[in-house]
Amino acid sequence: MTNYCGYMGKVLLLDLGTHTAENYIWTDLDREKYIGGKAMASKILYDNLTGAEKPFDPENLIVIATGPLTGTGAPSSNRFDISSLSPLTGITSSSNCGGNFGHYLKKAGLDALIIRGTCEKLSWIEINNGEFIFHDARELRDLKCGETQAALQEKLNAEHGKKVSCGMVCIGPAGENLVRYASVISGERAAGRAGMGAVFGSKNLKAITAAGDAVPSIYDKEGAAAHRKKWVNYIRRHPLTGEQLPKMGTAGLVSSMQVHGLLSTRNYARGQFEQFEAVSGEALAEELTVTNSGCLSCPIRCTRRVPVDGKTVKGPELETLGLLGGNIENANLEQICHWNYELDELGMDTISTAGTIAWAMEAGEKGLWESGLRFGETEGLSKIFDDIAHRRGIGAELAEGSKRLSEKYGGKDFAIQSKGMELAAYEPRRAVGQGLGYAVANRGGCHLNGGYLVVLEGLGMNVNGQTPHGKADLCMVMQDLMEAISCGGQCLFTSYGVVPAFMVRNPNGILQRAVNAIVPFMGPAVRIYNKIPEIACFNIPLIPYPTELRYTTGMKLTLGEFTRIGERSYNVERAVNARFGVSAANDKLPKRLTDTLQDPGNPKTRVPLEQMKRTYYRARGWGKNGLPGEKKLRRLGIR
Amino acid sequence: MVTVKLFGTLRLDSDVKELTAEADTIRALYPLVLAEIRKQKPDSGITEKALKSCLIAVNGKQATPQAKLRDGDTVYLFPAAAGG
Ligand code: SF4
Repeated sequence: MTNYCGYMGKVLLLDLGTHTAENYIWTDLDREKYIGGKAMASKILYDNLTGAEKPFDPENLIVIATGPLTGTGAPSSNRFDISSLSPLTGITSSSNCGGNFGHYLKKAGLDALIIRGTCEKLSWIEINNGEFIFHDARELRDLKCGETQAALQEKLNAEHGKKVSCGMVCIGPAGENLVRYASVISGERAAGRAGMGAVFGSKNLKAITAAGDAVPSIYDKEGAAAHRKKWVNYIRRHPLTGEQLPKMGTAGLVSSMQVHGLLSTRNYARGQFEQFEAVSGEALAEELTVTNSGCLSCPIRCTRRVPVDGKTVKGPELETLGLLGGNIENANLEQICHWNYELDELGMDTISTAGTIAWAMEAGEKGLWESGLRFGETEGLSKIFDDIAHRRGIGAELAEGSKRLSEKYGGKDFAIQSKGMELAAYEPRRAVGQGLGYAVANRGGCHLNGGYLVVLEGLGMNVNGQTPHGKADLCMVMQDLMEAISCGGQCLFTSYGVVPAFMVRNPNGILQRAVNAIVPFMGPAVRIYNKIPEIACFNIPLIPYPTELRYTTGMKLTLGEFTRIGERSYNVERAVNARFGVSAANDKLPKRLTDTLQDPGNPKTRVPLEQMKRTYYRARGWGKNGLPGEKKLRRLGIR
Repeated sequence: MVTVKLFGTLRLDSDVKELTAEADTIRALYPLVLAEIRKQKPDSGITEKALKSCLIAVNGKQATPQAKLRDGDTVYLFPAAAGG
């Protein structure tokens, strides 16, 4: 039960072994401290995991959590989060998804679902108005994600004698076969990163469906409606969320990454790909995009819809274009769209798949491990993807990811991963703050969990990407802000709006150039704010999230309190990881990015990681070991 | 003669992908690019101010509006919203 609106007031702990469910106690004080989503999930993992569990143990938990805004119609608020111990990294991880499951989980009356244990046989679970039924899923074995969801819809319709309106999450063959980077799919959208699909597979859990009639209430309907109207107008007028993303999606970043030297090429040997135009957002829009679409309640609608095999399907994101394009020296756009679709259908993360393939190409070239894969030779990759998903032949090895392969065969220096997770397509030697983010990110080589500083260092603003100055503090503050946004249930792309429109519209203006020049020197001010965010006892229109949460839930939040929630979320996640052995030594990047210059004539084109890490830990108030101490955890109210 | 390539929403909104022009500075290029856009798509609504706020690259490297051009150079123009 809860006194706050927006929530359903119920968190269910489901045991797959015993087929029993119990209410998990999650109080309003917890809601005030963690809001929901990934922060809530991290706290649940913190309270339940000891450090002895392994990702494929029955004791590992899966937490599927929504935010209070999920399903309430707030802009871009259809997100949900899946957290668990990751088979790729061995530590806690989270994966955010814009599919319809979160919305329907709330309709089923739940804010979050915690899953432990293992099903005896492959099963799917039907949740209906808070009740759950286990179904045999053996006849769904090896079905791809689209086929699985179609089959489940048919079964539900037949069982209930009508078309059932529901949300689903499912895994494909990759999850069943424990590919370490298997994804979970909901509709056409993926909780792609960190191998959450393999955890489902290890629990013999093929899918979950959710349906029901519950509707989250809204604390101040009129206030919320007026605030949302203003916010949606702002989103539509902003150059990034109103023009760039709807017209070109994230794919629109490829060309500007090329100019900034940020486009991963040839397994990150370079930051520019000669044939980038062929795999750019422009080419996608002009040659292939049929239309754009979006997750529920999203005014941005960044998704590309492209033709593949006579169907119109979700198109590739920037990460996939970069990593299955220049990073493996491929300039065939249609092929990338095809692979993107195939990988979603097999239930496999496009980023980690592509990163592992690029490593294998270089390892083959260097004579370390012969898989037959070579840069620029992309014929037959579809078959390799299928082999990975089924752990057949060399697919069984590739299914382990680049870190494990490099530990076995050599080539760690060019295994482009951090904590076991392959990096996204942003080459960080020209955006060193993003490099720091990749290294310190709790879940491994993730651009978002790392603070996404590349948006300031070239893709939204034009702050010097080559200087380490101020980056540690900015990284921290951006991480905390994105944590807080995410735990409300909103898409992180709304945070593009935090970059003032005038800064984006005219980067050549005098004022804009002055701001870009000053930002690296703002570190100390940012740090003071982070120490005492309570000084921000107000809200500002540029950061509308706390106001939206107040109108929807009734929870009074200032900007400072909102920032603190993000900080708490980041720290609790770190504290869980500490139990699994994470410390400063794990916050690292492959030598290619820290020791090899991207431009041999420019000594600044590497990531000066150790220097930035020290400042980052100090800014966070962590010890030299890169961990929050007892005092810090108490101060944040985690302990 | 320099080659000018347009990117991002500037390209999608103008229907101009590429043009060649005689200019020895970036500044001198703006009216020429605008004229080509007006020719291709008179109602695109793109202004010289919008062109001047574009991020510029010459031969693949970031440049300023003050940059001098040489025969054979390739100039990229990115609207600010494409990641300026
Ligand atoms: S911005 Fe894109 S990813 Fe985010 S909610 Fe909207 S459509 Fe989904």
